[in-house]
Amino acid sequence: MITVSNEGPKFVIADVTITEANLSNSDQFKAELVSLLDQHKKIIILDLQELKYVDSAFLGALVSALKYAISLKLDIVLVGLRNDIRDLIKLIRLDKVFKIYNYAEEAQFAVNKF
Amino acid sequence: MQNCADKLGFEFDNSAEKLVGSLEYMLEHIAGNLPARADAEDILFKSKVIITELLTNGIKHAGNSNTWFEIEIYPDCLVIRKNDKGTPLYLVDPDHLPKVADENKKLISADMLNSLYAIWESENHIRFASEEGSFDEVLPVEQVMEHFGILIITCSSDEFTYTYDRLSYTNTFRVQLLF
Repeated sequence: MITVSNEGPKFVIADVTITEANLSNSDQFKAELVSLLDQHKKIIILDLQELKYVDSAFLGALVSALKYAISLKLDIVLVGLRNDIRDLIKLIRLDKVFKIYNYAEEAQFAVNKF
Repeated sequence: MQNCADKLGFEFDNSAEKLVGSLEYMLEHIAGNLPARADAEDILFKSKVIITELLTNGIKHAGNSNTWFEIEIYPDCLVIRKNDKGTPLYLVDPDHLPKVADENKKLISADMLNSLYAIWESENHIRFASEEGSFDEVLPVEQVMEHFGILIITCSSDEFTYTYDRLSYTNTFRVQLLF
């Protein structure tokens, strides 16, 4: 459900390929994200443009993976969010936790300045 | 609340693969029956996240019992109600929760971003409330909570309550959105 589409010295661009992210696949989603962090040891730019539906289980998995990334002194950056998913993230203030950009190119530019 | 202008009943069998289809069915009904005074984009966004979380709650907690949804559209508000006979919400036995200043108000969860409270309005009837937290420039991510279901519904709604009927063993979540 996550595929790597590009990689730079500091980052990996990972595309989420599912349209529905909920409690039925949140454990697998988290496991794949953790595996990417372990494998590449780089900041993950997570492209969510294919995602149409998310629930609290998915957001919980995302936060859990972010905590793991931070423990490795890395990060997970979100790009390509649909408006309603971005609004949901803002609703519970997770926009204070995740760096969010419209496009992967913007995120790459920002990551390269870290 | 004025007289109900439209009502939909919908039975959900708690299967995860039917979550999106069930969500879209209820959202289409809401979209097609909102009064002109309602901010349709706002109400449909809130309805989407609320119904998603109620469906998810059914999948997680309703067990073998089916979940029954009711959507009621009034001239001044939308009411979404979910009933099931699954495991009661753990808040029915609130003794383990820390009390706050108000005797009937208890803190369910809190981090730097949000605090979530349960307020007992009568025995077995709870209203949820949330408050935004404050933090310095650097937020300690490791302290952020990972369970958002009740918080999402509370933040999206004008009123969110839970009732447990001990005679019929029925859980009822009721959400109200004002237009």
